[in-house]
Amino acid sequence: MAAGVAAWLPFARAAAIGWMPVASTPMPIPPQDKRKAQDGLIILNVSGTKFQTWRTTLERYPDTLLGSTERDFFFHEETNEYFFDRDPDIFRHILNFYRTGKLHYPRQECISAYDEELAFFGIIPEIIGDCCYEEYKDRRRENAERLQDDEEMDMSNDVTPVNLTFREYLWRAFENPHTSTLALVFYYVTGFFIAISVMANVVETVPCGTLPNRSKEVSCGDRYALAFFCLDTACVMIFTVEYLLRLIAAPSRCKFMKSVMSVIDVVAIMPYYIGLVMTDNDQVSGAFVTLRVFRVFRIFKFSRHSAGLRILGYTLKSCASELGFLLFSLTMAIIIFATVMFYAEKGSSATKFTSIPAAFWYTIVTMTTLGYGDMVPKTIVGKVFGSICSLSGVLVIALPVPVIVSNFSRIYHQSQRAEKRRAQRKTRLARIRAAKIRGTNAYMRYKQNGLLIDSLEEASKEAGQALVVKAATPPFESQHHHLLHCLEKTTNHEFVDEQTFQANCMEVSVVNKAGSRSSSLSSSPHGLGSCCSRRHKKKSSFSPPSTNNQELSTIQIRERPVSNSRASLNAKLDETVPLKCDESYITPSMVSLSAPVVTSADEDASTTTAYSQSNIVRVSAL
Amino acid sequence: MFTMNLEGLEMIAVLVVVVLFVKVLEQFGLLEAGYDDSVEDELELSAVRHRPEGLEQLEAQTRFSRKELQILYRGFKNECPSGVVNEDTFKDIYAQFFPQGDASTYAHFLFNAFDTDHNGSVSFEDFVMGLSILLRGTVQEKLIWAFNLYDINKDGYITKEEMLDIMKAIYDMMGKCTYPVLKEETPRQHVEVFFQKMDKNKDGVVTIDEFIDCCQNDENIMRSMHLFENVL
Repeated sequence: MAAGVAAWLPFARAAAIGWMPVASTPMPIPPQDKRKAQDGLIILNVSGTKFQTWRTTLERYPDTLLGSTERDFFFHEETNEYFFDRDPDIFRHILNFYRTGKLHYPRQECISAYDEELAFFGIIPEIIGDCCYEEYKDRRRENAERLQDDEEMDMSNDVTPVNLTFREYLWRAFENPHTSTLALVFYYVTGFFIAISVMANVVETVPCGTLPNRSKEVSCGDRYALAFFCLDTACVMIFTVEYLLRLIAAPSRCKFMKSVMSVIDVVAIMPYYIGLVMTDNDQVSGAFVTLRVFRVFRIFKFSRHSAGLRILGYTLKSCASELGFLLFSLTMAIIIFATVMFYAEKGSSATKFTSIPAAFWYTIVTMTTLGYGDMVPKTIVGKVFGSICSLSGVLVIALPVPVIVSNFSRIYHQSQRAEKRRAQRKTRLARIRAAKIRGTNAYMRYKQNGLLIDSLEEASKEAGQALVVKAATPPFESQHHHLLHCLEKTTNHEFVDEQTFQANCMEVSVVNKAGSRSSSLSSSPHGLGSCCSRRHKKKSSFSPPSTNNQELSTIQIRERPVSNSRASLNAKLDETVPLKCDESYITPSMVSLSAPVVTSADEDASTTTAYSQSNIVRVSAL
Repeated sequence: MFTMNLEGLEMIAVLVVVVLFVKVLEQFGLLEAGYDDSVEDELELSAVRHRPEGLEQLEAQTRFSRKELQILYRGFKNECPSGVVNEDTFKDIYAQFFPQGDASTYAHFLFNAFDTDHNGSVSFEDFVMGLSILLRGTVQEKLIWAFNLYDINKDGYITKEEMLDIMKAIYDMMGKCTYPVLKEETPRQHVEVFFQKMDKNKDGVVTIDEFIDCCQNDENIMRSMHLFENVL
């Protein structure tokens, strides 16, 4: 029931008096109005902007925040109003919903901000009024597409794994040629050969002058048959190798074989093989010629190399319905006009319009405004209808084209946006990294200050003085640092920043590469700890590289058995360390949170269990 | 050469050319197309905007307090910003309370009962006067109002046909899904019962005195008249 109509309920109830004399049975007792609803004004203070409305207005929708007792949580006693720390501009629309019963979507607002406000106030967006619903749905779809693009890109680019199988590595090289130089080289080579092959197909039909013992001109293909054959063979070999490699590398072979690009690949190389197999048989030579036509499909292989081609293809696919409509309406018009022209021109002598299908050609040529002039109407009637035909042709073709164009434009802009975001990724990542490093450094400082303050406190306690703390950090920060400190104490490991960690890695790998020290490392309990502590003033920390990456850590944990012996632990570290340290694919987020292994001498076997446990803890937390 | 006896296709061609010619003339404004639409547009502009009498007058004429009138007017104006209710809006509003059945017929009768000056629209004064009788009036006044509702042609007599119409309208509001299932004769039977009770002199019509007398003697009816007094 619409909100405003609730105000008419008293009227409807009063009008029920009209039924009373007619009623055959006594009426039920009416419900007691316990609260004579004193219709009071409610003040809603949204970030300083005051809105006022009747209480009954808000209570029209009791399942939203404002209409239920949930708003009591926001009641501010000092000012006797309800305070919300939200956007007042969007709140205006939400309040209008209560007043009019219709939710509108303001076009200038960001769709995600609007959705958030709706979610906060407990209003489901599906009740947006018809006037704004289309716009809302469009914007929502665009936003979802953008988020999906982002995610896909994140997923595809974030995964910079190290321990790929050869097959996965190959597939990645094929899909993203920019990942390694070898892939890039391969990419360009195949592109080059596609171009060569297509040009050879074209050139071999060009007339190349006459042979000495013939009078007719022969095409280049016939004249230099061997050369062209060799070229063709070379190209096809490269394409075949490429196709086979892709087939091997594909994660899902069935899906790969069904994909468009692989079909194009197959169609591009099959004619050659079929030609090899078939002999110069007269019966099949016609089919052989057809096969040569298919060689031109090699040009479609360029779509792997050109994003624009892919966009075009995608556009055509997404505009399939408009194209279908265009085709259908054209066909209708062609049939109509061909019939008319045929009967119009039937009277005139020596007319080219011999049948309706013959008139199809004229109609198509006229409607697409080509006008070859090989078929022209001669009667006046024919000319009248012919002109109508050409005019309507322009209209019929012009109408669906803008739809296709706008689709293309939308998809093109999307891909542009994706490109730009890719370019911005680097700066974004750098920014994120810098923020993380700042956070870690701030935390380090906090700990130093903490130790300092501790010692100062003790000193001052002894001296009997009050401690003046240079409170430079805001309370949020200091509480956050305290939390991190608690985590450290819980796990008995410490945070380090990136440089220290990498320095440790280098050191250990250098040490390991030296080789002779490894045994001494494993034997002396202080081994790793001491070599690291030489570099740092405080008791730190050498975090195993196994926690750099989620995948890495999962792989690591699976492979590494829980061992309690220090020697084996160190041995494992030795194995894994060089592999990981060499890779610089350390994502910053992991580094700052990785709890390093403390391999100081004070700890005994319990540490190792703690270490492996903490590893497990880390993985689960991640 | 152009011969005078036109054959089928030629005739069509000539027709097409003539039509095109007419269209071109229209473009030039020499032939007015769609002339009728402009007159209607003007009427729409002078839409009815009704402002009610002052609050004091209404207070005097009805039995509502100032606050109650304010609340009533706010609800009224919210739903009908132009200040008057026409029959369609009235039907819409009333239909929202009875979603299962068809309330339009009864709403039509109700509209006529509220529209005391029979000008086709219910203004706020009509609305509030009617409500004043229904909610704050004496039993006599309420009964008179009900009689007016049943007396469709306002001739002072309720005939069986009028009562049947009203009854059917009331039963229509129930809709199809009822228990027990509504039968065709149910309204008619109900009318028979009503007339047996009300029509004292058995002349086939119920006058206002018969109606009031009979209702005052019926306990159920008297009790139900007081049912909605606390509505506002």
